[in-house]
Amino acid sequence: MRTLPGILLAITLFAVPPALVAAEGEPPPEEEESKCITCHTDTELWEGEQLHLLVTEKQMAELAEDVHWKKGLRCHDCHGGDPTSFRTGDAHAEEAGFRMMEAPGDVPDFCGHCHADIAVMKRYNPSPRTDQVVEYWTSGHGQAMKKNPEDADVAQCVSCHGHHGIRAVDDLKSPVFPTHLAETCAKCHSDESRMKGREYNGKELSHDQYELWRKSVHARMLLEKGDLSAPTCNDCHGNHGAVPPDVDSVANACGTCHVKVGELFAGTKMRHRFEEVKLPGCATCHNHHDIQHPTDEMLGMEADGVCGRCHQEGDPKYGATLTGAEAARKMRRGLDDLDAMIEEAKRNLKKAEELGMGVQKPRFELKKASDALTNARSLVHGFALKPMEEVLDEGLQVATVQNETALERIGEYHFRRVWLALSLVPILLVVGLLLLYIRRRPIPGR
Amino acid sequence: MSPAPENGPAETAGWKQRLWAYLSDRVGLDAMLALGVKKRVPIHRTTVFYFLGGMALFLFIVQIVSGVLLSLYYKPSPDQAFESVQAIMSEVKFGWLIRSVHSWGANLVIGVLFLHLLTTYMMRAYRRPREFTWVTGLLLLALFMALGFSGYLLPWNQLSYAATNVGTKLVGVVPVVGEYLLKIARGGENVTGDTLSRFYALHVAIFPLLALALMGAHLYLVQKQGMSVPPRVAESHGGEDKVPSMSFVPDFLLRDAVGWYLALGILAALAALFPWELGEKADPFASTEIGTKPEWYFLFMFQLLKQLPGTIMDLEWLEGEMVGVLFFGAVGSIVLLVPFLDRGDRSRRALNFFAGVSVIFFIVMTAWGWFDELPLQIILGTSLLLAVLALADRFLQRGTPSRRALGVAAVLTVLVLIAAIIRELTR
Repeated sequence: MRTLPGILLAITLFAVPPALVAAEGEPPPEEEESKCITCHTDTELWEGEQLHLLVTEKQMAELAEDVHWKKGLRCHDCHGGDPTSFRTGDAHAEEAGFRMMEAPGDVPDFCGHCHADIAVMKRYNPSPRTDQVVEYWTSGHGQAMKKNPEDADVAQCVSCHGHHGIRAVDDLKSPVFPTHLAETCAKCHSDESRMKGREYNGKELSHDQYELWRKSVHARMLLEKGDLSAPTCNDCHGNHGAVPPDVDSVANACGTCHVKVGELFAGTKMRHRFEEVKLPGCATCHNHHDIQHPTDEMLGMEADGVCGRCHQEGDPKYGATLTGAEAARKMRRGLDDLDAMIEEAKRNLKKAEELGMGVQKPRFELKKASDALTNARSLVHGFALKPMEEVLDEGLQVATVQNETALERIGEYHFRRVWLALSLVPILLVVGLLLLYIRRRPIPGR
Repeated sequence: MSPAPENGPAETAGWKQRLWAYLSDRVGLDAMLALGVKKRVPIHRTTVFYFLGGMALFLFIVQIVSGVLLSLYYKPSPDQAFESVQAIMSEVKFGWLIRSVHSWGANLVIGVLFLHLLTTYMMRAYRRPREFTWVTGLLLLALFMALGFSGYLLPWNQLSYAATNVGTKLVGVVPVVGEYLLKIARGGENVTGDTLSRFYALHVAIFPLLALALMGAHLYLVQKQGMSVPPRVAESHGGEDKVPSMSFVPDFLLRDAVGWYLALGILAALAALFPWELGEKADPFASTEIGTKPEWYFLFMFQLLKQLPGTIMDLEWLEGEMVGVLFFGAVGSIVLLVPFLDRGDRSRRALNFFAGVSVIFFIVMTAWGWFDELPLQIILGTSLLLAVLALADRFLQRGTPSRRALGVAAVLTVLVLIAAIIRELTR
């Protein structure tokens, strides 16, 4: 990607004949009708400025893993030309359909030759995507490329997918598989020298996105827990049409997965206010890239509360009101109260269960309180106190009843112990009377 | 003794006398009573140990009654077993009481049987012609341990599942037939619902029927041979016939009743102070919790097997567990054959040495397995040892070297116990 010769080499490598592929991981065998590889693997033919046209053994091994190669495509299917001819002119003649790439900006259309052609793509997939090239030209990368097609630092197809060893996107080893994608983006976006001076919509691009994302809850879910539904770069920015979300589209990006919260936020006055003052929706409170698991501590006016950033007493920002501050306090108090009551009920139910008392039903009922807590946490994003309080009250009522049930079971356990201990009294009384009777009754003949 | 009317025509007798006469005519109550009155129970220093058999019988009856009540609600399937026991504990009226009594009763009956075995050995009551009384008694102890083991799985909780897994695994190490025995015990390769069904059938039908049959034989033999008198007691009185005695009915029966009531009281106290808990439902995929232990009466075996290496002397065919199982098999066989091995002073001394080592081994291993901390292990071990020494004391004559040795051992044990208590309190 860095230099034009590099790109040309990459594309040219498609010319390796398919006959050299015997099995996965092994160099492709030579095919009689494809003469491309015969010349392009001959080390004596290539030197100096043309050295990039030499196909090395390593590149041939990579080619064996290439998805195109595995589908039966050969050098001329991408590069055109006449693969049966040893004559340089004939083999690379424009009349024979040979396609040249003179600049990195030619790559998207080179790939799009097939990938934007639905008739071609249908041979391999009954419902293929063919909009990648169109999307690409709308992306930040595409727009930069349009400005300077010679700019080898601007990403195009091969920058992310590789040159000849291109793997299917659902291949675990693919650089664009969810677990590798962020690293692939980071190759450029974490490179300070490459990012220096680059901007989008008049805003300079930073180079710390990967570092921040790596600390996020999303990265932990994806990379540590293997949850492929957790978002990586493309899930928020798009794939081929990658751009930073605009201020007013951040909530939509987040709402793709966080549907309920997204819908709640979309219906609030807060959202419009955010847009007016150019605050980036969800990212205003949750940050972007280094998004952490939200906690109840984020809500409210205390040290860790994000509400206090705007609803400051004495110095409100963006027209934030003190009524909002008070609502935030109440919301937080409500969440804390319900959470504490659920935890207490759980503790007591566990205690009762360990004592051998049946707690299945109350434990099942308590789930309703936990559901209410989850629901209330979502409702925070509606910024309306009343509906949230209704849900919290309902949950609190359930949790309180189940806690009382747990305490009753524990009480019953202790009552049983006392009751059983009391049963010892008549038993010992009978023993005493028996002993008295035995003492008063002499054994005959002793 | 008979409450039957002695004077006057039957027509003038009260309803009790009339009922007695009615039953005597039909089921021979008079004959049974005469037998009870005729049966004599010797009176001496260790007469109190005669009560242990009756106490075990009483506890067995408690087990049968409480077990039958539990079976009305228990459902022997992996999906329902735990939940049904949970329902017994929480929804069935007094179900919690019945379960607690049944669980503690199982432990008590085995404890009483251990004591019965030990005191019977000390009294040398296994002597001719009571060899089979000893053998049937020992088989009953083994059967009650098997009842305890099979019943332990039935609540289908984590602890019982793990204990059954480990316990049945040991069967598999028996040479040659181990693999078949394991499959028979588990009803397959692993502990599953099939094992539960199998254990349920064993626990509620097969073992109780065997126990009733063996108990019938045991009681018949006791009745047939009469109560054994320890040799030294007989010698001191100039013969067994001259040892003072009491009639079985009502003198011994009244004293036996005290023992039964005391057993009931202990059972109630245990159920009150330490109700049997249920734990968490068995999860075959969960890892076994560290510190999982079997019931106390299997702890001595468990602890030894835990200490044995995978292979002995690096010989692959000589597995540690197999050696352990064979060792306990050999010890059990010796105990079973005690009446036939006691053939004179020399063999008796050897048997006494064997018995002493066995009891100390049992105590040490149980204390070691029960607690993790050394001071607590010592406290439990020395306490159990003192209890055994107190038992033995009643069988030794004053002034004899054995009695003096026992006294020294008791003093040393008390000193060690005190040191361990101080160590524990100052930790």
